[in-house]
Amino acid sequence: MSEMSNRERFLAKMAGQETDRTPVFCADQTATYEQMEHLQAFWPEAHCKAKDMATLASGAYHMLGFDAVRVPFCQTIEAEVLGCTPKHAGREGLPSIDVHPFKIGDPVKPLPDNFLELGRIPELINAVKMLKEEVGDKVAVIGGIIGPYSIAASLVGVIDILKMSFKNPEKLVPYLDLAEQAGTALAQALVEAGADVICIEDMMASMDMISPKIYKTSVAPWETRQIKSISVPVILHICGNLDLIIDDIAETGVTAISVEPKVDAPAAKEKLSKYDRFIPLIGGVDAVTTLYSGSPEQVAQVTVDAINQGYDMIAPGCSIPPGSTLENLKAMVIGAQRQKAD
Amino acid sequence: MATVDLNSVFVRYDLKKEVIEKSVSTSKDVLLQAVITAVVDGDEDAIPGAVNAAFAAHDPMDIIKDGLVKGMAEVSRLWDEGVYFLPQTIISSDAMLAGIEICEEKMGKAMDKKGVVITHTAEGDIHDLGQKIVNALLRANGFEVVDLGKDVPVDDVISAVKKYKPVMVTGTALMTTTMTAFKKIASRLTHDHNELPFVCGGGAVSLEYVNSFDTGIWGKDAQQAPGMAEDAVSGKSWSQIREKYNG
Repeated sequence: MSEMSNRERFLAKMAGQETDRTPVFCADQTATYEQMEHLQAFWPEAHCKAKDMATLASGAYHMLGFDAVRVPFCQTIEAEVLGCTPKHAGREGLPSIDVHPFKIGDPVKPLPDNFLELGRIPELINAVKMLKEEVGDKVAVIGGIIGPYSIAASLVGVIDILKMSFKNPEKLVPYLDLAEQAGTALAQALVEAGADVICIEDMMASMDMISPKIYKTSVAPWETRQIKSISVPVILHICGNLDLIIDDIAETGVTAISVEPKVDAPAAKEKLSKYDRFIPLIGGVDAVTTLYSGSPEQVAQVTVDAINQGYDMIAPGCSIPPGSTLENLKAMVIGAQRQKAD
Repeated sequence: MATVDLNSVFVRYDLKKEVIEKSVSTSKDVLLQAVITAVVDGDEDAIPGAVNAAFAAHDPMDIIKDGLVKGMAEVSRLWDEGVYFLPQTIISSDAMLAGIEICEEKMGKAMDKKGVVITHTAEGDIHDLGQKIVNALLRANGFEVVDLGKDVPVDDVISAVKKYKPVMVTGTALMTTTMTAFKKIASRLTHDHNELPFVCGGGAVSLEYVNSFDTGIWGKDAQQAPGMAEDAVSGKSWSQIREKYNG
């Protein structure tokens, strides 16, 4: 078939249609130090200012050849607005949450009416608008939000949420409700700003953190509610081995699932094939052992193998380590082209 | 001899049936078994009663060794088999630590420590759960742990090493964006001619990465930490420990 544009390729695969080759992108953060130098857009400004955020994100298209660009880079924007204190990490790192504002049991106020005007949210919305204007006709634009369980973990602290998920999950409901409403409101705003796709990162819902039972009780109901409220295709990214919960994830109604290579891809594909909609499996390239530590040739080969194994869209299994080389990142696209030629 | 019905424990945890059929390490001593059960159960409320009752027949050191640590070993086994997930192990480790504290009070002094280990979670990383397990296992095995916590800057690790003179340092990272701090720590330490074993582990950390810098030893899981610390105390160098565990 004739060559598609990056945007066409990405959106066609999300919709379960035929593509000229397997799309390549990253469901999580895409910035690297080399892109920052080349584009002259750096952290921490790119975490806070729309222009720098959009410029740095556009590197995924201009420099890496990915089929989608994505903002933001960090996972703290909603949590900060809900009262968490972020700790900034300068030029090299991502902000993290330093202070959790709630102890479990503390009362929760409703989501502020002006939520979308607070903190860095207007900058994120503007960054999506800029990306849409500048590259949106050539490449898909992904708006990133954080999943309900992960925002709730920022609100009450990781250890406390894990313990309570096990002991008395009912007590988490107010925080999960607030977290879901925040993420959903942000997602809708990003869609209005031009995002073609929303990616929910719910990294705390990993089986490295919780159990399948906790996923069913304290995660899936809120993800489901959120996904139902979003009017564009939704990718759900969860880290770790998801073999035990692939069906639960599919049942949230999500469009596509982004996973780490720890997941048994053929088994996951088989489970997903039972649903009456096409659910793309995204991933295949380990962010550390392959993308960061490997050679370009290894990255390309892993990409070819991942496609042959059943991955529908190629992506790192997690956030791109910012020290990864351009050559390695571009090798994912080279691998996808080579696989098509084989 | 007491028989303890572990089935009730497993039912409560909604566990898979095959686990119940496997042999579970238990104590024939009813008092110690109650301590083990409280740890496996993660029942911190039951710990004071169980530990205090055990003092009637056991000295505190034995309760630590044959009750609390044994219970945690059982939890580790369930974790290894994919039956227990992280929340259960955290709750169990809280119970174990509460029990150790009661035993130490009874002894009137802290257990003699084999050496100091500094543990930390990488700067920018808020996932310090792996580190918590490492801390618990090191403490249970008689090491003094200097817990620097999560999201620790490189400088803080370097100054803690100067201050506490540990036998070993550990670092954990679960995020792919944070692990590069480990290489910086190792190079700062070796630059100061300090060739301490530096054990790095966690979801984002690979054998290849950790073995790419001097003094780095890859920790596959938290359970390896006490053995590595024992080796460090016995005078093994980082390269010998790396050879042993990373082969």
